[in-house]
Amino acid sequence: MNYFDLFSLPHSFELDLAQLSAAFQTLQKTAHPDKFAHASSQEQMLAVQKSATINDAYQTLKNPLKRAEYMLQQRGTDMPSEQASFQDTMFLMRQMELHEMLEELPHADDIDGAVNEANEVLDSEYQTLFCQLQQLIQDNNQASDKIACEIVRKLKFYQKLQLELERIEEQLFDD
Amino acid sequence: MAYSEKVIDHYENPRNVGSMDKNDPSVATGMVGAPACGDVMKLQLKISDDGIIEDAKFKTYGCGSAIASSSLVTEWVKGKSIEEAGEIKNTAIAEELALPPVKIHCSILAEDAIKAAIEDYRSKQS
Repeated sequence: MNYFDLFSLPHSFELDLAQLSAAFQTLQKTAHPDKFAHASSQEQMLAVQKSATINDAYQTLKNPLKRAEYMLQQRGTDMPSEQASFQDTMFLMRQMELHEMLEELPHADDIDGAVNEANEVLDSEYQTLFCQLQQLIQDNNQASDKIACEIVRKLKFYQKLQLELERIEEQLFDD
Repeated sequence: MAYSEKVIDHYENPRNVGSMDKNDPSVATGMVGAPACGDVMKLQLKISDDGIIEDAKFKTYGCGSAIASSSLVTEWVKGKSIEEAGEIKNTAIAEELALPPVKIHCSILAEDAIKAAIEDYRSKQS
């Protein structure tokens, strides 16, 4: 069953997270193992499976990149393998620069300022790509879906940079 | 997960870290990335007029296995012709470093980096 249908939500990339969360909780109660404590073992097993599906659906829709991948997959888009390497040289050069920027943070004269700036740079580049992704998914045709896949892959690099920045911030400010 | 001794050695003492001028016609640059883990790898080769790799440098942002794979590759390609370098297989890298199955993609990335560099060199030559 389609994950959006499971939660009775419209098939739209823009999603009301509060609505998703409410639908998830309501649905999860109906499949809670406690409700099946006295049921047959087959019914118990089905409840466990249903509960797992509801969880998968929720985790997929909650995360924007996973949601995008799911929608593209459902449309039959040919997704590049997770393991396939990415070779957009210009983009990767920029990634190198951003990693170098993060690497320099602990040596900045004004560490607070440099960290804020790094956050702004990463956010703004992420947002630019994310807006493109929203539009492409809305366009909903073969060509736009193909580009959308590429953008999802690019956004994953930014997620990694954001995690790296968080790690650096923890190291810098925790002691 | 424990890293092998060879991975740790390359990670702690990476060989040939650095950059060359990517606009130099005798320098081939291969850039590859792995979206799944966000690793970015740059491999640069200095190639002589008769097609021999005289020097190699790398810069990798990624896990220990990705750094070790690219470090090892810079050692292996030096002195080889570009044809020989193009034949280096990820399986050989993975075997040398005793990479566990979940880290095989790091060796694939290193192999792809060599191929990307050779492609860059060929496009510069033509």
